[in-house]
Amino acid sequence: MDGFSGRAAIVGVGYSKLERRSPRPLAHFAREAAEAATADAGLTIDDIDGLGTIPNIAAYGNTGDLEGIDIVTVPKMSQLLGREHDIRWHVQTPGLCPDTIMAAAAAVASGACTYALVWRAVNVPKGRYSDFSLARAAGEHQFRAPYGFTMPAAWQSVALRKYMHDHGSTREDMAAFIVQNRENTQLNPKAYWHGTPLTVEDYLDAPMVADPFCLYDCDIPVDGCVAVVLASAERARDLAQPPAYITGHAQTTWPTRGGFTDSENMWDGGTAMGKKLWASAGLGPDDIDVAMLYDGFSIFLYVWLEALGFVKRGEAANYIASGATALDGELPLNTSGCSLGEGRLHGMAQIAEAVLQVTGRAGARQIEGAAHTVATVGAGSLASGGLIFSREARA
Amino acid sequence: MSSEGAPAIKPVPVPDEVTAPFWEAANRGVLAIQHCEACDYYVHPPEALCPRCQTPDLEFREVSGKARVYTHTVVRDNVTAGFAEDEPYVIGIIELIEQERLVLVANVVNVGPEDVRIGMPLRVTFERLTEDIALPQFEPDGED
Repeated sequence: MDGFSGRAAIVGVGYSKLERRSPRPLAHFAREAAEAATADAGLTIDDIDGLGTIPNIAAYGNTGDLEGIDIVTVPKMSQLLGREHDIRWHVQTPGLCPDTIMAAAAAVASGACTYALVWRAVNVPKGRYSDFSLARAAGEHQFRAPYGFTMPAAWQSVALRKYMHDHGSTREDMAAFIVQNRENTQLNPKAYWHGTPLTVEDYLDAPMVADPFCLYDCDIPVDGCVAVVLASAERARDLAQPPAYITGHAQTTWPTRGGFTDSENMWDGGTAMGKKLWASAGLGPDDIDVAMLYDGFSIFLYVWLEALGFVKRGEAANYIASGATALDGELPLNTSGCSLGEGRLHGMAQIAEAVLQVTGRAGARQIEGAAHTVATVGAGSLASGGLIFSREARA
Repeated sequence: MSSEGAPAIKPVPVPDEVTAPFWEAANRGVLAIQHCEACDYYVHPPEALCPRCQTPDLEFREVSGKARVYTHTVVRDNVTAGFAEDEPYVIGIIELIEQERLVLVANVVNVGPEDVRIGMPLRVTFERLTEDIALPQFEPDGED
């Protein structure tokens, strides 16, 4: 085992309210989440001396990047918390949150800072989602925007089409997952879709966005923020909550060639990442009690179930339809509803729920005795990452 | 779906140092794909170094224009400027016959969206966008 082996832990989780098109500035959501995460850990804001975030705007295209409205960077958060003079360490990592979490884990384990706050604040951009109105398509845009291929839902929908063709799955198979996920969401009062059940018919009759993707294959954009607090394993033991020790991690440099044109690349990259993830923890798929797999779009569930080796290639759709991933199944999956049910939080929903499950704090959806949980973020290729959390420091 | 005022125009590709030969060829009605002379491998989108052998020994080769539908989507809720009139339209991930998984993005044209199928044989055609830019597009190839 060559992994991180529990030298740091997530010790607090905090959510802002999750809303849509809120009149409140995003900065206020970020502060709300920061205060909640810090209090959850039994700490105060004045204990925080490390900051990390993913400063990217929430959407592809040409939306704005106004500080405090569209993004909340490290300098803004240090102001919001009144900690401009006291932050000893920080990082801003464009990409996805496992990168930031691992940077912060290394910082608290090394002593570069004592308590690191990591957050992801996202908004619902103005106008239609992911509007692309540039008249000129340069760089990576030039081989897709002139063809109207600018919507992330379209990029990923081609993968579901190919999967259905290659493996004989159907929209009814996907409906089984979406409905199960919405049922889990009803046990999560924080979730945007809490209180709004969904039937198989609702899914099958929903408006198509990029066929075969309908509305419910896409996560629900929200204004909101999730924050977590990290501490070294030594300090983690004495705080308010049981620590979620980081016992495995993997990040991938696998290129996203051509901007998601070849969907097989997601499985190639995800499989490579999965091998690193299990090796880092000395664990395997059979050791995982609850899985939180990235679901910005529905097809990612198939990618990750197969790439991590929970099932063989082409078996994910049948596996889900069999009930194996329900709360009472052998591999409870996305127990909080994650991005599709809770809201578009770019993977922080996965990380937060993996922490809550492994520390026995997931309320009505708690999987009894969860000792190891996994969270993945991304599409399998570039910037994807995975984390394994364990109840004990040594997996 | 449409925006206010005059109809928006579709985004126009901006050729760069690496991609210019692709667009120059397309403007002449030729599909030319970057090819690594060192390891005999087609690369698309064009890159500065071969992604397989990391040499910069890359040239553009005219290819047959024959292809198949690798996968596709039918866009019904468009967000790209200039496409409102086209809905629903088909975006194909097009696999050229020259190499496995050598794919490019193009619209599948001259066929109804419901009739496009994975594996369908295609051939290249060109759509003039501006005086300097023609887009490679693909249409069904009758010779099955």
